[in-house]
Amino acid sequence: MSATRTYSVIDPATGKIDRRIFADQAVYDDEMEKIFGRAWLMIGHESLLPQANDFFHTYMGEDPVILTRDGQGRLHALLNMCRHRGNRVVRCDDGNAKHFMCTYHGWMYANDGTLEHVPGTSEAYYDELDRSKLGLVEARVETYAGIVFATWATDAPSLEAYLGDARWYLDTLFNRRDGGMQALGPMKWLEPVNWKTMVDNCSDNYHVPTTHQSSARVQTRYLGRPRLSHKDQFESPNRHVFVNGHSLTFREAPDNTPRYVHGMSKDTFALFQQYHEATLPEVERRLGSLRAHRVQLGNHSIFPNGVLGFRLALPRGPLQTEFWHFVLLEKDAPETIKQVIRIGSQANNGVAGLFEQDDVDNWRQVTAASRSRLSRRVPQDLSMGIGHAGSHPDYPGVVSERYISENNQRHFYRRWEEFMNAESWADIPIAPITARFEGTATIRG
Amino acid sequence: MAGQPATHPGADAGNVMVTSRQALWLELMSFYIREAWLLDERKFTGWLDLFADDVLYFMPRRKNVLRRESHREVTPLGDLALIEDDRRYLEMRVARLDTGMAWGEDPPSRTRHLIGNLVAEPADNGEVNAKTAFLVYRSHLETDHQLLAGSREDVLRRVDGAWKIARRTVILDANVLLDKNLSIFL
Repeated sequence: MSATRTYSVIDPATGKIDRRIFADQAVYDDEMEKIFGRAWLMIGHESLLPQANDFFHTYMGEDPVILTRDGQGRLHALLNMCRHRGNRVVRCDDGNAKHFMCTYHGWMYANDGTLEHVPGTSEAYYDELDRSKLGLVEARVETYAGIVFATWATDAPSLEAYLGDARWYLDTLFNRRDGGMQALGPMKWLEPVNWKTMVDNCSDNYHVPTTHQSSARVQTRYLGRPRLSHKDQFESPNRHVFVNGHSLTFREAPDNTPRYVHGMSKDTFALFQQYHEATLPEVERRLGSLRAHRVQLGNHSIFPNGVLGFRLALPRGPLQTEFWHFVLLEKDAPETIKQVIRIGSQANNGVAGLFEQDDVDNWRQVTAASRSRLSRRVPQDLSMGIGHAGSHPDYPGVVSERYISENNQRHFYRRWEEFMNAESWADIPIAPITARFEGTATIRG
Repeated sequence: MAGQPATHPGADAGNVMVTSRQALWLELMSFYIREAWLLDERKFTGWLDLFADDVLYFMPRRKNVLRRESHREVTPLGDLALIEDDRRYLEMRVARLDTGMAWGEDPPSRTRHLIGNLVAEPADNGEVNAKTAFLVYRSHLETDHQLLAGSREDVLRRVDGAWKIARRTVILDANVLLDKNLSIFL
């Protein structure tokens, strides 16, 4: 157990942030308890285990977790650890199984976590082993529009409260269609990066014209995509908003035009426009007129480690993160649309992604600068746009005046402090839901 | 003679004849060696010339599944892949490097492609299915380094007398890639 510490890592008046939080092992160990042991964590998607008895292997922080669908179709998030000695009971990435057997001594668990069979209950254990107390450790599970979240905290609020008004925006990507979404993936790789840097980067649209200029430029040339210069970013109609712990950006443009997602080209734009118009009445029925016509979710992160759509930044020590990249597709979209989005997503944001390739060395050097004697004493500067964010008549949360801002990042580290300084969930503030969720869509989908 | 390569009946000691299959093997092995040098010497435009216009460059994911479910180990085309490039995307990857702003490869990686274990099977349509194994070493910046192992399954086609790669499937042996990114070509 770590001793209770009080963290004050960001100065809201100056945006200076103590960079030791990106490399210190004791801070990291505290994060695993106070953030990853408490928060609702994105762990999978219902479409990855569609049938009864399907399972998908995932992680909550560094803890391996089996996400299962039992024979009755109910979801369970089970710590992948035999209660006898601690061996994993599942070694596959996914599959279909009613039982999981520990390969050490043969203890056998049902896929709802119940310990069903122990060799030698009479002969070796004298009928004194209480199997009912030795099921796999189970987390709380709730879903949002097919995305599965889990938490170890019995005192955590509902997922609905945890997402709060952020869902008002998230719906515009994840909750548009009656048929819901399907997930493909993940691809998995290790980056020598602290997990927080890749999360805070999701609201950093300032880096795009510099970090990603080579990819943006060739995609303008080869695919006819819009330019991504500094001028384009500064003049963008997009917005930047922090809501109840979550960092979001969105396109605000009542021009009845789809957002330029990865993979779209000049050639396929008409196809997306057609799909956008054909589905607009359904989206309007589900989300109401304002959201259907004016709000399209962009880069974002769901606290603590859900990034850019349905992707996971899984901590692996202070200096390493395992990145999981999925793509989410609207199930009922035409195959050509799905194919363009899938190829665009994997070609731009995966391990070999044209955009993503250029992120990692920036992030790793930010992480590395948090280690050495002098550089770790020099704070990061997150001062952009201090004092230029507030409430907005149409939009929930703290809305920045301009798209290019570090307001979300400052709030992300404030949220981090709130978790790290709390004794229990009772100390962690949750903003009340005030947004008007027009339309028929619910948290269930 | 046992253990000796089959020779043309008319071969003499100074001019050993080889079967057409062996000739194909030698020709393709030199093709792959030439490709490896193009990559390691960063002659990427020359490397692009080795691909047919309708190429599909495909790198599926590799999953942990039970032995009896081995058919699910390599993800199929249509699932999320590491790479699924047509010629246009391959050209973009190369063109990107010349912008002077492809930071992940500037300064560039130092690579060594070792290609071997070639098995070549002619197909009925004149194309050749060629399977090779590779070990690729990558060193980047100061201390980053990575060894990538896997196989390539190529479909080769003769176009105007030269072999072109019409389809390449790169199957990595890694589940979680240990490298920070995959910014080099395999």
